[in-house]
Amino acid sequence: MADSMAEPIVHIRDLNSWYGRGKDRKQVLRGVSLDLAPGEALGIVGESGSGKSTLAKCVLGMVTDITGELAVNSPRPQMVFQDPYGSLNPAKKVGWILEEPLRAAGVKDREERRRRVAKFLSLVGLEEGHLGRRPAQLSGGQRQRVAIAAALIQGSRLIVLDEPVSALDVTLQAQILRLLADLKEELGLSYLFISHDLAVVYQLCGRVAVMTGGEIVEEGDVDEIYDHPKHPYTKKLLEASLTLD
Amino acid sequence: MVFARQRKQADTKNRKQKNWYLTIGIVLTACMLIFITVGFFWTPYKPSALSAADREAAPSLRHLFGCDQMGRDVFSRTLEGAGSTLTIALAVLAVGAVCGLVIGALCGYYGGRLDALIMRLCDAVAAFPSVLLALVVLAVTGPGKYNVIGALGVLFIPSFARLVRGEFLKYRDRDFVQSARLMGVGDLRIIFVHILPNIWPVLLSGLTIGFNNAVLAEASMSYLGIGVSPTEPSLGYMLKDAQGVFFTLPWCTAFPAAVAILLILGMGMVGEGIRERMGVAS
Ligand SMILES: Nc1ncnc2c1ncn2[C@@H]1O[C@H](COP(=O)(O)OP(=O)(O)O)[C@@H](O)[C@H]1O
Ligand SMILES: [Mg+2]
Repeated sequence: MADSMAEPIVHIRDLNSWYGRGKDRKQVLRGVSLDLAPGEALGIVGESGSGKSTLAKCVLGMVTDITGELAVNSPRPQMVFQDPYGSLNPAKKVGWILEEPLRAAGVKDREERRRRVAKFLSLVGLEEGHLGRRPAQLSGGQRQRVAIAAALIQGSRLIVLDEPVSALDVTLQAQILRLLADLKEELGLSYLFISHDLAVVYQLCGRVAVMTGGEIVEEGDVDEIYDHPKHPYTKKLLEASLTLD
Repeated sequence: MVFARQRKQADTKNRKQKNWYLTIGIVLTACMLIFITVGFFWTPYKPSALSAADREAAPSLRHLFGCDQMGRDVFSRTLEGAGSTLTIALAVLAVGAVCGLVIGALCGYYGGRLDALIMRLCDAVAAFPSVLLALVVLAVTGPGKYNVIGALGVLFIPSFARLVRGEFLKYRDRDFVQSARLMGVGDLRIIFVHILPNIWPVLLSGLTIGFNNAVLAEASMSYLGIGVSPTEPSLGYMLKDAQGVFFTLPWCTAFPAAVAILLILGMGMVGEGIRERMGVAS
């Protein structure tokens, strides 16, 4: 839950962002404001094209054409992408993929890297035997576990997850969501969790912001929004999510 | 169901054919390489030795490929010539591929104005037949092995640069590259360690085409008399040399030509095999 005393790990006020240049310059985010407290999981929901990924990219510094306030109080926040086929290097083995963030962080000692890889491998529920495999030799769920381990292994406290379970079937979704909840407790992580599916957000997040057309139209406790949606768009989203289940 | 099974059969059949391409190509290329490597260390006769008695001798057990009008053993000369051709082709390829790789990788990854300018330049160079341009270069520098390698090598850069650039363009915004950036991996490491291994198959197939073009370009230039010097004749030079006796001593043309063709054929099949295997993979 948001603690008003603690300094937020992400602080955003009146954020606007644009893509393109000159005549093609197009505004995507319009006056977005939100705070993410340490140890909190904040869900962002909205239909495809509403600007969720853009918001994620802003937080990670991947979109630079912005105005407004944006403060991220965590070194090297990481991202878990929707498609684990695309987010793991197809030419490399799992062991290499997990060691690379450590090499990038300047961990020179090979034994030390191996130790940390082994630790995170077991944290995400994989085994030594997976280290020698390429991403193509893993299942979708295993791939996403590798992607999660790679995002965590540098010790980042803030993780942005952009539709991390949308490509998985329902059983796997539940497994990965449980894993994410456990990891959050164990490592004291903060999540910015993006999904188009309110039901998924409900399982992991305490608070949720509803986005459409680049704006946040409603924000609050997940239970509150689930039971008493105020904005018509939230109601529509909720109905869609319920009929799907 | 029936359709599915038929498709599966067709699939495996195709894959078998593809493997045949690669297998035959590799075997053929390996044979040629062994043949040529032997020639570096041993030839039955000294390639330049004249033997009055064997002048215009037809192929026989003593002279497998016969002798030319001066009594030189065509088999020995073909061995040496193929070695010369291979060395030049590989050197041309090395210059063109290494420079093309670096230029193409940087252009594709960074993009921007410099990329546009360099690609414009590549288009301009590629618009002319490379042999013609090499002729112009050699008219200035004079003939000789190293000038041929330098001229052809530089002219081979644009096609490699373009190939590599296209691949890097495809990969630079992939999630795994963005992820590497977020982890603080440096650009050069992303280019050469993260992206490059993914484009090896494409590069390899490009190298086989480049190799064949290099063999052909060197042969054409020698044929036109501006290639290597007579003291280290290549296959192309031998063909030019045998022009006058094309009908009277056909073996002087046939054997060097056959070796050149087999060399190109083998490499071409390897390239085709790689390309089709990639097609299956993707
Ligand atoms: N790199 C880009 N360049 C230009 N427009 C983009 C780019 N990425 C996204 N957009 C546009 O921004 C809008 C929001 O996209 P996105 O943030 O990906 O939405 P979401 O993740 O909610 O589906 C869409 O209209 C999309 O077309
Ligand atoms: Mg998105």
